[in-house]
Amino acid sequence: MIMPSQQAKLSHASQVVPAALYPRRRGRVYAIFGLLLLFGVTVAFAVTVGSAQIPLSTTISILLSKLPLVDITPNWTSSFETIILEIRLPRVILVGLVGAALAIAGATYQGLFRNPLADPYLIGVAQGAALGAVIGFLFPVTWFGIGFGTVPLLAFAGALLSIAIVYNLARVGGTLPVTTLILAGVALGALLAAIVSYLIITSGEQIHGIMFWIMGSFALSQWSEVAFVLPYMVVGVTILLIYARSLNVMQLNEEQAQQLGVNVEKTKLILLGAATLITAAAVSFVGIIGFVGILIPHAVRLIWGPDYRFLLPLSILVGAIFLTLADIVARTVLAPSEIPIGVITAFCGAPFFLYLLRRRAKALF
Amino acid sequence: MVKLEMQNVTLAYGPKVVVRDLNFQMRPGEMVGLVGPNGCGKSTIIKALSRVIPPHSGRILLNGKNISQISRKDLARMLGVVPQMSLLPSVFTAFEIVLMGRNPHLGLFQYEGPRDMAITWQAMERASTQHLAHRRINELSGGEIQGIVIARVLAQETEAILLDEPTANLDIGRQIEILDLIKSLCRENNMTVVAALHDLNLASQYCDQLMLINNGRIHAEGTPAMVINPENIEEVYGGGSYVHTHPLSGLPAVLPHAGNSKHAKPQDVIEGDAV
Repeated sequence: MIMPSQQAKLSHASQVVPAALYPRRRGRVYAIFGLLLLFGVTVAFAVTVGSAQIPLSTTISILLSKLPLVDITPNWTSSFETIILEIRLPRVILVGLVGAALAIAGATYQGLFRNPLADPYLIGVAQGAALGAVIGFLFPVTWFGIGFGTVPLLAFAGALLSIAIVYNLARVGGTLPVTTLILAGVALGALLAAIVSYLIITSGEQIHGIMFWIMGSFALSQWSEVAFVLPYMVVGVTILLIYARSLNVMQLNEEQAQQLGVNVEKTKLILLGAATLITAAAVSFVGIIGFVGILIPHAVRLIWGPDYRFLLPLSILVGAIFLTLADIVARTVLAPSEIPIGVITAFCGAPFFLYLLRRRAKALF
Repeated sequence: MVKLEMQNVTLAYGPKVVVRDLNFQMRPGEMVGLVGPNGCGKSTIIKALSRVIPPHSGRILLNGKNISQISRKDLARMLGVVPQMSLLPSVFTAFEIVLMGRNPHLGLFQYEGPRDMAITWQAMERASTQHLAHRRINELSGGEIQGIVIARVLAQETEAILLDEPTANLDIGRQIEILDLIKSLCRENNMTVVAALHDLNLASQYCDQLMLINNGRIHAEGTPAMVINPENIEEVYGGGSYVHTHPLSGLPAVLPHAGNSKHAKPQDVIEGDAV
């Protein structure tokens, strides 16, 4: 045991915190800027790739000319501009948003449930969205003035409804124990998935559209869809970032988090609501894209560490880049026909994840 | 300075009452020990005092204010807890875990500044855990993790500390080291300390006041000399132990007594007792 007098001396000598112990904040901030840049490059590349041959330089000029304070005299045809700005760009942006949404929602669910397998499937959100979408396919009604059909709205409603049911089933007294939440989610998810399977089997000629939605499709994306997803993303992500430090402390366990000043029940509800809103908005348009919600947060965690204040923004960027690249592959490999993007994410994601797992197996979560 | 008080507190899990009618005052600069057999409710009392479970009836007051009226954040600035057998997330480094002790002191968007870093580093030094700072939790032993959790509560800079079996599973050297540290904090900084301890000898050596709990009630309270006597120990723990006087401190000590035989000679174990 150190004597008090010794202690005073020692504490003088060791006032300075070794720089190596500072959470690698600067490195992570650089990473955020680097990834932003990379996302820009990816978008430019993704917009260039397609059936109409448009040179990369023209693409970049068209994109830059739309930025404020940039003045470029058009030397391209107006059809090029339409293809880039009205057909390809909304799709690429929507893909990026969905990738970001699934990644940050997955990261939040993993942290919230302290479970490395947590993702929208585990608590029934994705199955709820799928059921809503399938009902939308079977009973198509076009809502004039909104610009898209009932499918996304019903998917969105299904996701929110399923989380509401799971939440109420799982509540014990005034608390929301993680284990009952997951069990309720898995059980409800199984029930909803069974209903979806039944509806698909009996859907007749609608089956192709439904299957394509289920496996994730970005064909026919429009700006109106981007405008639908974006507000939910902005609100949800802002809330998640505000509560990121609480999420760190909640990694201890609920009791310790309370003793460190976190209002656990309130925080859980807020985080769950925000992550579900983001997921629902993303899933409603493009169906279920597997692996992004699990893969991206783990990859980010392995590379940059477990601090959610960085894990969440980094997951957003990596998720957006990953899904944008996957989409390029999805629409070029078998062009002119498209592969569902979910196939690509699993195909590329799983081996990469296994590689990371082998390399840094010791401390995954 | 923090004064903790229990007034007619009854604690229960659902309809099952664990302890009833607790009345006790914890004063600054005094180390209070909660002792009693397994399952008597020591941990439950610690949880109630830190507002993890609400009392079934009665009031817990912190400086005269009911703790249920105090926000978790304000409470965490005044009262820190070392939980029993802390399970910590394995990917964080020891330093990151101790840094979480600063959480109640930070605003919504605020990041830990140089001052928080320095406080954290000092806390690790006091808990003799600086050498572990860069290590990940999954590389540490149980005793090292306990040291990290103690450093975290120091970084929290509270004036009251509750400890739930802080020395369980530690070797005797580490037990003494940790309790010496807590005792010195209690004395020097006039802190309010409550520790649930199952080891009667440690409780006797370190605590100023003891609360012996049995069958859902306070069986005895007062100084170790008053509480740890043959009658109380026999009534609460049954036969099989022998209350003795520590040859150096003069405080009560409890030795196991094989079987219930009165022929064994535990006196032989400790030299100089015959005096």
